Formats: sequence, C-alpha cells, structure tokens
Amino acid sequence: MSTINEDRIRERLEALSKAEPAKEATDRAMEKVRDVLKAENEASPKHSLRLPPANGGASPTLRLMKLAAAAVLMIGLGYLGGRLSAPKPLDAEQLRAEIESSIRASLEPAIRQDLIEEMDARRDSAFAAGSAELKEEFQQKVRRDLVDFAEQTLAYADDRMDRRLADLARQFYAARVQDRQRTAEGFQYLESNIGSGLVALAARANELMSTQ
Amino acid sequence: MSSGDKELLELLERSGAELYTLLTRLTLREDVAEELMQDLFIKLKKAGGAARAANLDAYARRAAINLAFDWRRTRRRAVLRFGNIAEPVAVGTSPLGKMIRSEEMQETLNAIGRLKKAAREVLVMRYIQQQSYDDIARQTGKTSHQVRAMCSRSIRRLRDVLGSNHSQSAAKEIKNVHNK
Repeated sequence: MSTINEDRIRERLEALSKAEPAKEATDRAMEKVRDVLKAENEASPKHSLRLPPANGGASPTLRLMKLAAAAVLMIGLGYLGGRLSAPKPLDAEQLRAEIESSIRASLEPAIRQDLIEEMDARRDSAFAAGSAELKEEFQQKVRRDLVDFAEQTLAYADDRMDRRLADLARQFYAARVQDRQRTAEGFQYLESNIGSGLVALAARANELMSTQ
Repeated sequence: MSSGDKELLELLERSGAELYTLLTRLTLREDVAEELMQDLFIKLKKAGGAARAANLDAYARRAAINLAFDWRRTRRRAVLRFGNIAEPVAVGTSPLGKMIRSEEMQETLNAIGRLKKAAREVLVMRYIQQQSYDDIARQTGKTSHQVRAMCSRSIRRLRDVLGSNHSQSAAKEIKNVHNK
C-alpha cells in the first residue's frame, strides 16, 4: 500500500534540516524579541504605582470605632439636611401671587407672540390691497404718458417730413430748370454749327456738279 | 528586571538563533517564524514556570515545536517560501523541481504534525535538528535506547501516513481519468 519508503522520508527530513534562515532575518527576529520583552517589562504591574492598603494596617477595634464615628456623622448630616429641606406651612396669598406670576410668566410670551403674528398678518394684507391700487394707478399713468408721447412724436415727425419734402421739391425744380437751360444752349450751338456746315456742303456739291 | 526576565534574555542570546532556525524549518516561512518567536518568548514569560524548568533550552525547544505545529494545523495551506530551503542534489533547480520539493516538504511536515506530541518532538529533534540520541534522551528524560525506538516507530508511522496520502491522491487521479 505504501508507495514511499523510509529512505525517502529520511531524505526529505534531511532536506528540511538544511533549511537555514537569512542572517539578517535571524538578527531582526531576535531584536524584535528583545523589544517585546522590554515592552512587557515596562507594562508589567510590578513597576506600576500601587496605592497603600485601604485600612492602613489599623487594628480591628480602631477600624470599628472609625466606622461607628462615620455612621454617626452620616446620620447627623442626614437629620440636618432633612430639617433644612423640610417644606414650610402654606401661605395662601403668597401661593396665589406665585401662581399668578407663574401663569403670567408662562402665558405672556405666548400671547405676545400671537399678537405679533396677528399684526404681521394684518399689515401684510393691508399692504397687499394698497399695492394692488397703486399698481393699477401706475399702469394708467404710464399708459397716458405713452399715448401723449406717441402723439407728440407723430406730430413732430409729420412736420419734419413736410419740410423735408418741400425742400426736396424745391431742389428738384431748380435742378430741372438748370437742366433745361443747358439743353437749350446745346440745341443753339448745334443749330449754328450744323447750318454753316450744310451751306458749305451745298456749295461744294454745286461746284462738283458744275465741273462735271 | 526579575531573574526570570534575565534568564529569558540569556536564553535569547544563547539559543535565539537556533530556535528561530527551528521555527523557520517547521513553518518554511521566515515572517511566520519571526512572529512565532515573539509568541514563544511571551509564552515563556507568562508561563512563569519556565524559569524553574530544569532545562530551559529544552523546554523552549519543545514549546517552539508545539507552536509551529499549532500554526501548521490552523494554516495548512500556507504560502511557501522556497528560497531558503536547501536543494537536494538529486532534484534539479527547475521551477517544477522546486514546486515538487516544496510540496514534499509541506506534505512531510503536515504528516509529522499528525504524530503524537512526544513522537513528534523526538522526530523533529533527531531528524530536523540533527541532535544525537543522547542529547534527546537528556532533554526528554528518557534513555537513549527509548529515544532510538521512538524515532524508529515515528518514521514507520510517518511512512504509513504519507503512504496513505499517496494512495488517496492516486485513487483520486484514477477516478478523474475515469470520469474523463
């Protein structure tokens, strides 16, 4: 059943026995152990501060007497505290005044707050109504101003346009007159030059015909 | 500093390197060995009885062996570091050879961990720490003859454990082949 013999096992064990850690690793491990031991020593309760024993080494009788004295002191203090803190008899007038002041103190801020809130609400509603009227009036005013402005603008524009058109008509007329004068002058020049040319041409033609 | 602390520091100076080497061989990891080394000395300090032990070195060695195998039991599938393991002559230095060698080391150490405590300690002292039978006998309070017999029985037991492992893995491989 076994497929491995004892020699093989010994060979493996021998190989394990040859495993060696690095020198640096060994030194590091030992250093860490030293640190750990040092830290353990520092944290040891042997070096911590210890309080003295609670009974201070006193005898049992003395300890019992101390306990008895402490008990008496505690009882006395308790009695004194009880007497001082006991309630006094009730005074109806004072009680009424206290209740009144207490109720006043508790109700006054709430009432004050309610009043402030109501006043705020009224002021807001009044302001809202006044604001609507003001808005309407302002719109009407603006509308009127705009209409006036438009009318004035149109009147001014009409006047300016009439004047410009009149100027244009005048200039056009003057230019037309000047143009006609120049045309007439041109025709006169042509008439004078063409007339003399035609006379000369007729005389020449007559000469030619006579020679033939 | 108490006398027990002084004794521990002396133990560290005297046998610290040897204990660290032992832990490295049993865990095959230097980082783990470093942690276990600290655990060992804290344990020795807290035990208190360590200072009163007749042979503090032997006590520390046995505690180190137990710590290492406790660690192996809780972490069977630890990642190996192969670099510091001496390579046998018969096996090449190929990656496959290293892998096979490391697997064999793990298998062997796991098998040793399955032995009884006394047998395991004797086997480690004899075959991994290479101590003589007389030294082991002195440390364990047994006779040299008894130690020799224990070693022999431990090797046989180890062979059975490893053999059964091989049989199981072989059967698994055959089953896998059949399934394919």
